[in-house]
Amino acid sequence: MRSVYLLTLRQLSGKWRLGIMAVLAAMPVIISVIMLHEATADPVTDFEEVVLGAMLAGSIAPLVVLAIAAAAFGNEVEDRTLANLTISPVPRWRIALPKLLATITIAGPFIALSAFFSAHVGFIVDWQATIAVTVSAIVGVAMYASLFVWLGLVSTQAIGVGLLYIVLWEGFFAGFVSGARMLSIRYYAIALMHAMDPRRFAELDHVSGTTAVIVAAVVIVGFLALSVRRLRMMDVP
Amino acid sequence: MNATIRSSGDTVMREASGAAAAPVIRVQNVSRWFGSVVAVSDVTFDITPGITGLLGPNGAGKTTLLRMMTGLADVSTGRVTVFGEPVRDNPPLYRRIGVMSEHETVYGFMKGREFVTMMGRLRGVPELEEAVDRAIALVDLEDAQYRPMQTYSRGMRQRMRLAATLVHEPDVLILDEPLNGADPRQRLHFKHLLETLKEQGKTIVISSHILEEVEQLADTVLLIVNGKLAASGGFRAIRAALDQRPYHVRIVSDAPRRLAAAVVKLASVDAVHVDPDGALVVLSRNVGDLQLELPRLAQAEKIGLRRVEPLDDSLESVFGYLVDA
Repeated sequence: MRSVYLLTLRQLSGKWRLGIMAVLAAMPVIISVIMLHEATADPVTDFEEVVLGAMLAGSIAPLVVLAIAAAAFGNEVEDRTLANLTISPVPRWRIALPKLLATITIAGPFIALSAFFSAHVGFIVDWQATIAVTVSAIVGVAMYASLFVWLGLVSTQAIGVGLLYIVLWEGFFAGFVSGARMLSIRYYAIALMHAMDPRRFAELDHVSGTTAVIVAAVVIVGFLALSVRRLRMMDVP
Repeated sequence: MNATIRSSGDTVMREASGAAAAPVIRVQNVSRWFGSVVAVSDVTFDITPGITGLLGPNGAGKTTLLRMMTGLADVSTGRVTVFGEPVRDNPPLYRRIGVMSEHETVYGFMKGREFVTMMGRLRGVPELEEAVDRAIALVDLEDAQYRPMQTYSRGMRQRMRLAATLVHEPDVLILDEPLNGADPRQRLHFKHLLETLKEQGKTIVISSHILEEVEQLADTVLLIVNGKLAASGGFRAIRAALDQRPYHVRIVSDAPRRLAAAVVKLASVDAVHVDPDGALVVLSRNVGDLQLELPRLAQAEKIGLRRVEPLDDSLESVFGYLVDA
């Protein structure tokens, strides 16, 4: 497992990719600083909805994770090196799991730091809120990573399909259609944040913290299992 | 070893001379289609220890067949077993198989040694460093092992990939077009390496679309044409069948009709006709004799030969002949 993990870390740590991720991750922090100096009628609610909900959980986190996760298998399928791994005498989960862990290892710190500093600035050194935002962001990264790693394995157009999912589903339908929210990763990340700090997103109708944790686990393990299944069934180029 | 040449679609089993070794790879009634395109059609054969060449023109289905033999691709119908076990979705079996695909892509950021080490580690090789040393020495790349593979030539990449294929000392080696990019010296080295592995009792399958390449390397040939097994057996028998096929030879001369009247009398010539452009097209089953007789004849008849060329010497036409026979 260590070999696949280290290989994937090296494959995914291109300078350009990391640079773009750093820029994306910095944006919520910059917006938080700007909002701090722009007095509005309800600054906390505005900060939660704009920076944490729409921007961090709904756009930046999935975009950063998509850029990494889709390449975890996608690049190997595209340049036909995946056979090096699949003709090895290791169970398929020992290929899929390190790919997922490497994705989280690279994308996680960017989003965690972005969430930490955004919350730290936006909630003016409120540690409970900052920790809640950071932890839920990491869980969100893990959920998105599992989904997009699988997507990179099943589609040669993973980036395009992933962008459509982020814009249409997470950004549009899940924001306006209450039923669709139940199938939104962003919703469960926010629910987890609310469970750890009930003052955050207090006006939204949330599932319980336990439910959010269970759903997060189901999403992560479920898509990992689908990746393993795909590795077993697919024709490896 | 005898060649068995049947019409396309027939099931052909290898006819081995002497005591038949137990088959290591068994391909039984295997077909594979992609949508409406049939890539491999009802192919059956056994492969025993030694070197077997999978020969066929580009697009014949060799790679699809090899991918099914390695478990990388699924069969549409039929069954492939290695050492009696299904090869598909059977990771423990891969400890005994070494596969080198036709794709030359490597992890360019990795040093050659790192790549071989990683592949050895994935295969659970004990005493890994020694095994890596041995594998790299086998392909004669010790000097380049600490260089990133993106700096390698095409031939060097292929050799380092071969080292990675050999690092766990597999019993079965499946090599798809392994000599792509190799220079004559590397080809000779590769030939000696395969012979050494063969003496160790390994089962080796190599694919190629180049007749001479397979002739030099393989004991037995499986001839694949249009997804079907056209012939199998010893190379000599297949080669003899190829040599007996009629060739069309185009001759441009300064007196075509006079040359046609003379050339038709040669024993090596089966038929002659004159093209509208004045060129002679000769059908011969004995091109070797024709090559000797034609210049003598032209000299005796005082006819100038401007051009002599085979019309159908491509591998595809050779395979086409075998399939139609």
